[in-house]
Amino acid sequence: MFDTTNYIRRHTARKVALGLAALTWSLGARTANVGPPDEPRSLYLNVEKGSNLITGLTQGNFRLHLDGKPQPFRLEKPEEPASVALLVEHSGSSGYFADDLNAALQGFLKHALEGHWYALATFSHEVEIRTDFTKQIGEITAAYSQLGTPTWSEIDTYDAVYEMLDKMGRLPGRRILVVVGSGLDTFSEHSLGQVQKKAEAENVTIFVAGLGSLFRGAYDPYLDSSARMSLVQGQAFLKMLAGKTGGFAWFPNQVNGFPDVMQGIMQSIATQYRLGYDAPPNGSGKFHTVKVEAFRMVNDKREDFKVLVREGWR
Amino acid sequence: MPVLNLDLRSMLALLCSELLLGTLTGCGRHRVTLPEVKPPSRVFEPLQEELQKSYLTLFETASKLDYSDGQILKMQEYLKQAQDYCVGKFEGVSGEYERRVADAQRTLKKSNITDEERHTLHCSIQDARALKSQADVISQHAIPVAYDNKQAKLELIQKWPGQLKEIQQSVADGTYKNRRWADVQDIGFREIEKNQKDDIKIGQEAVRDLKQSGLMPKEIEDEAVVSYVKRIGQKIALNSDLQVPLQITVLNSREINAFALPGGFVFIERGILESVDDESQLAGVIAHEMSHDVARHGHKLMTKATIAQIIYQAAQIAAVLATGGAAGIGTLYGLQYGFYGLGLTLNLTLLGVSREFEQQADQLGIQYVWKAGYDTSGFIRFFDKMATKEGYVNSASWFRSHPPFYQRMVESEREIMYLPKQQNLVVNTPEFAAMKAALAKVSAKAEEESKAKPSLISPEQGCPPPSKLLYEADQPIEMICSTPQIISGVTQPGK
Repeated sequence: MFDTTNYIRRHTARKVALGLAALTWSLGARTANVGPPDEPRSLYLNVEKGSNLITGLTQGNFRLHLDGKPQPFRLEKPEEPASVALLVEHSGSSGYFADDLNAALQGFLKHALEGHWYALATFSHEVEIRTDFTKQIGEITAAYSQLGTPTWSEIDTYDAVYEMLDKMGRLPGRRILVVVGSGLDTFSEHSLGQVQKKAEAENVTIFVAGLGSLFRGAYDPYLDSSARMSLVQGQAFLKMLAGKTGGFAWFPNQVNGFPDVMQGIMQSIATQYRLGYDAPPNGSGKFHTVKVEAFRMVNDKREDFKVLVREGWR
Repeated sequence: MPVLNLDLRSMLALLCSELLLGTLTGCGRHRVTLPEVKPPSRVFEPLQEELQKSYLTLFETASKLDYSDGQILKMQEYLKQAQDYCVGKFEGVSGEYERRVADAQRTLKKSNITDEERHTLHCSIQDARALKSQADVISQHAIPVAYDNKQAKLELIQKWPGQLKEIQQSVADGTYKNRRWADVQDIGFREIEKNQKDDIKIGQEAVRDLKQSGLMPKEIEDEAVVSYVKRIGQKIALNSDLQVPLQITVLNSREINAFALPGGFVFIERGILESVDDESQLAGVIAHEMSHDVARHGHKLMTKATIAQIIYQAAQIAAVLATGGAAGIGTLYGLQYGFYGLGLTLNLTLLGVSREFEQQADQLGIQYVWKAGYDTSGFIRFFDKMATKEGYVNSASWFRSHPPFYQRMVESEREIMYLPKQQNLVVNTPEFAAMKAALAKVSAKAEEESKAKPSLISPEQGCPPPSKLLYEADQPIEMICSTPQIISGVTQPGK
C-alpha cells in the first residue's frame, strides 16, 4: 500500500481542525471589493463549440443578463498586456506531484504568449512571490527551476488563492490567475466560503492545471475511499474557482497532459472576449448574477455556443 | 613567553578559531569599532584624497607622490579593517530592520488591532523591508567594491612609478616589440587565432538557446540607435583581426552590460549606451567584446554547457533578486544581471573565464580602437567612470570577479603607451550626440513601460514617503560608514 493514503487522511483530519480557526478568522475577513456607482465593469469570457474556441464574434452575437434582466453592454478589446500570475503548489507534501509540476512549467515556457506580464508565486504554508511580473518568460521557468526542496509540508491552498486574489484584485486591466495545484488544503486560515466570496468579488479569471495525475491514473486503484474523497474535494474546490470566475479547470490523468493544459490556458487567454457594462451600485456586497449568451445565425437558425464567464460579482 | 602574551580579544579570537564556535558565540563577526591603526594624519589625509582621484589622473601623478612602502602597507591594513567595520555596520542596520519587520508581523497576528493600527504596521513593514534591502545592497556590493577600488588605487600609487620606468626603458631599448601581439601595423593581416569561422555555428546555437530560454531582453527597434551602434561596430571590425561577419544586437535593457557569443555575435545593452560619454568609450566597449571573438575565447570556454550555465546563473540571480523585497530590486538587478562581457557580474571562475582572457581582450580592444583612429583612453575612462564616478552601487561590481582592477588598468595603460602615437584621435562625433538623442526617447518609453508594470508586491497606499538610506553615489565610502543616515522614514532603528 502506498503511504499516500495515510498522507491524504492525515491532511484531511487537519482540515477539520482548520474549521474552527477559519470560523474565527471570518469575523475579521475583508469587506468585498465594491466599485463606485455606475463604474464601468468588464466581463471576460471565452466562447466554445465542442472543444473549439470560437473567435470573431461581434457585439450582435452576444446578450448579457444581469440579475436575470437584459443589460446593455459594449464589446471591447480585452486589455493587453494581461497580468497572468502562476500560483504553484510547492510543498514538502507534494512530492507525488513533482512530475506534473515540471511538465506544467515546461508547457508554460513552450506556450506562453509573448507580450503579457507573467509572475510566479509558490505556496505551502504561505505565498512566496518568486518572480514579480515580467515579460521575460524565461525568468519564470528559471525561478521555478531553482526552487529547491520545500521547507514546509503544509498545502494551504485556500489561503494562497485568497491572498493572490487580494493582490491581483488591486491590479488594473485584465487579470488571470493560473493555479497549478492539487486543491488539497491542510491548514488554511480562510474557509472555503471566504475564498468563494473573494473569487466572486475580485474580477480575476482563474484557470487551473490540477496536479495529481498519478492518483487519477496509475495509482487510482490503490487509493482508499478517504484518500479518494480528499482528492475529489480538492478538485471540486478548484473547479468551483474556475467556474465562478469564467475560467476552466483541467485535471490530466497523465503527466504528459500538462503541456496541453498550459497550451489550452494560453489559447483561452488569447481568445477572450470582453464585455463592458455599467454596474449598478453595490453597497451591500450582494451577489449579482451574470449570464451571457453567445450565438450566431446560420440560415436563419440560431446556433448557440457555450460561454465560459464568471457566474456573477459582488 | 610571547605566545601567552594575549589580551582578552586575542584570547577570544583564538578560542573561536580553535573550537569552531563561531556561529554559537558570534565570533567571526565584523569589527564593531573603527580601525585603531592608521597612518599619521599628515600621510593619511592626503592619501585619502589621492584615492578619490581617477585612475587616469593617478597614472599622471603617481610618480610625483612620495609615500613609503610602510605607509602604503599601513593604509592597506587600515582600509581592510575599515571595510570590515563598514560592512558590519550595514549588516547591523539590515539585521535591525529585519527584526523590525518580524516584530511588526508578530503584532499583526494579534486579533485586537484596529484597521488604523494594521495600516500603520503595513507601512512600517514596507518601509523596513525597503531599508533592509538598501542596507543589503550597500553591505554586500557597494562597500566591498568601493574598498577594492581604493586598494587598487593604493597599489597603483605604490607600484606604477616603478612600472612606468620599466615601460619607458622597454620603449627606449625596443624590447616592447617582443610583447605578445606587438605587430599592430599588421592588424587585419595577422592571425590571432586560427579558424574563427568554426565558431559561427556554435554562436548561432548559443544565440538560439538564449532566445529560447526566454531570458534575452527585447531588441531596440529604433533605427537611429541600432544603425549607429552597428556602424561603430563595423568601423572597428574593419580595423581588427576579426575574420567572421560581425553581428551586433542592441538589447533594450537598462543593464550596463555588453557580452559576446562565439562567432562574431556581440550584444550591447541599452544601459551601456546610456552610460558612455563619448564615441571613443563606446568604441572601447565594442572592441573589447569583439576581441573575445577574435581570440576565440568563446570557443575555448563557452561550450554548450557553459552557455546554459550562463543563462541559468543570470536567471538565478534575477530570481533571487525578485524575492529581495520591492525596493532595491532595480539596483540589484542592474548590479548583477549579465552574461559575459563588460558587465561581468556572474561567477566567471565557475565559467572558467581566466584573467588572461580578459587581459587579452583588453589588449586587442585597445589596439583596434587605436587602429580605427579613436582615443585609446576611452576604454579606461569608461571603466574609471564605472568604478569611481558612477558609484559603487550602480554599476561597478564587475571587477569583483574580473582580474584585479589594478592589474587590468596597468596592463591597458601599458599597451596604450606602447602603441605608436597618432594625431587627431576621435573622441566624439555629432553622430554620437544624435544617437544619444534618439536613445533618450527609447529610454523614456522603456521607463514609461516599466512604470506601467503591474506588481504583486504592491505597496500599501497612504503611507508616509518611503525612507531612504542617505547615500550619494560618488561620495567617499567612509561617509556612509561613519553614520548611516536615514531620511524621511517612518521606521528608524535606534530612533
